[in-house]
Amino acid sequence: MDTAIEVRDLVIERGKRTVLHGFTCTIPRGSVTGLLGPSGSGKTTLMRAIVGVQIVKSGSITVFGEPAGSAPLRHRMGYLTQAPSVYADLTVRENARYFAALYGLGAAEADQAVADVGLKKAAGQLVGTLSGGQRSRASLACAIVGNPDLVILDEPTVGQDPVLRDELWKRFQEMAANGATLLVSSHVMDEAARCERLLLIREGRLIADDTPAAVRASAGTDDLDEAFLRLIRAQGVAA
Amino acid sequence: MWASTRAELTKLVRRPANWLLLAVALALSLTFTYLVPYAGADGPTADRGVASTLPDHLVGNSIGGWPVFAGAIALILGVLATGGEYGWGTWKTVLAQGPSRLSVYTGKLAAIGLAVLVMVVTLFAAGAVTSAAIAAAEGAVMHWPSAGDLAVGVGAGWLIAMMWAMLGVVLAVGLRGVAMPIGLGLVWLMAVQNLLTAVAAPLLDWVAEAQKGLPGPNAGSLVAALGTSPQTPGVAELVGSGQAAAVVGAYLVVFGLLGGLLLRRRDIL
Repeated sequence: MDTAIEVRDLVIERGKRTVLHGFTCTIPRGSVTGLLGPSGSGKTTLMRAIVGVQIVKSGSITVFGEPAGSAPLRHRMGYLTQAPSVYADLTVRENARYFAALYGLGAAEADQAVADVGLKKAAGQLVGTLSGGQRSRASLACAIVGNPDLVILDEPTVGQDPVLRDELWKRFQEMAANGATLLVSSHVMDEAARCERLLLIREGRLIADDTPAAVRASAGTDDLDEAFLRLIRAQGVAA
Repeated sequence: MWASTRAELTKLVRRPANWLLLAVALALSLTFTYLVPYAGADGPTADRGVASTLPDHLVGNSIGGWPVFAGAIALILGVLATGGEYGWGTWKTVLAQGPSRLSVYTGKLAAIGLAVLVMVVTLFAAGAVTSAAIAAAEGAVMHWPSAGDLAVGVGAGWLIAMMWAMLGVVLAVGLRGVAMPIGLGLVWLMAVQNLLTAVAAPLLDWVAEAQKGLPGPNAGSLVAALGTSPQTPGVAELVGSGQAAAVVGAYLVVFGLLGGLLLRRRDIL
């Protein structure tokens, strides 16, 4: 397996609370990996650490063989934060063109990214006037406009309708088929089946790292929601 | 860095607030430099009347606002361009992907520098048109400043305006926002500077001496040396033009470096 991200014994504290407790995992290149777990389980903190904006207490993270956050990685990474990070006083198109210009790209690439997230018709609209779901997609367009090798998406489908969610997941899978590595967080289990690999996380600890089929098999159920619950209970018993 | 500058210019040009700031600077400058003195030419301020609005005063008239009121507008421009990134939550994506922090920062400063130049040149151009119109209406002879004097005037105006914009940038980075930096910046520019000059300096020698090292009085000295009327708020020739330009330039560099240092070393929230 060609590895894109390698996390070893990662410990992260935020305030006085330990958020990740010696977390270890690997994420294969050219795949869609789901990072699943309940709210507050440490998903966003792990993503911030991979992007390189989170102070790490101990352990290591390498991305494409380079330390997380190092300069050579910046041009290869797209990051969608949980709260949309776009300029509300600019239009969707202007936002995308700003981020495209940061990468030295032009208007055509920006317009393509806007179309890819289904905002072509709203391209001329001020972001401040968009709905929450549209704003999130505008932010997504800015994250993928540079055609990055690694895309970190923190709950990209929150607030999206089912049709659009389906389209977005197809787009993620296309990106992976073209060689990109995607790490997508969610606390919605029905999205897990769309991933090639799953990382199940709870209270800062990894409780499963496998394909959806293997997770189901190991838990002895076809329902991923139920599988997650059984794995949590099994972990509780073992502890 | 060029990509960052181009990207920042995209934002600056498309953001309505920046055009509003330019319009306010223009309106204030034309109103208080030309229209009010012209309208009051027969009244108690006759000495500041028509003669002070003619083309030979173009340089002094076009840069007279930068030590205080136009400087406040430059400060707001710097804060909005930088502090807005915290408000929109965009630093964490801009700085985590794409160019380095310093590259983004220098690109932003370069774009602000260009925006400030546009403001300064616009005030000169609008002043030239207005003073020419007044001269034509009054049948006065038009004596225009030389190209060299105009270039020095534009340079001095840019230096002062950019220094205030950099103060806005460093306050925005230091306080990670927009509201507080604008508030504190304006308090310094509009209140503290005036209190020091009008209240403290006449009473305390050491304050009078210390003023010679502060940004506002040096900006006021620089424009006074280039022909701005000493009756203009914030304008008085406390030090020579060479020292004034050096001090203003030093503040510009220090504010710029300090903002870069803070942005580079601190966490992105």
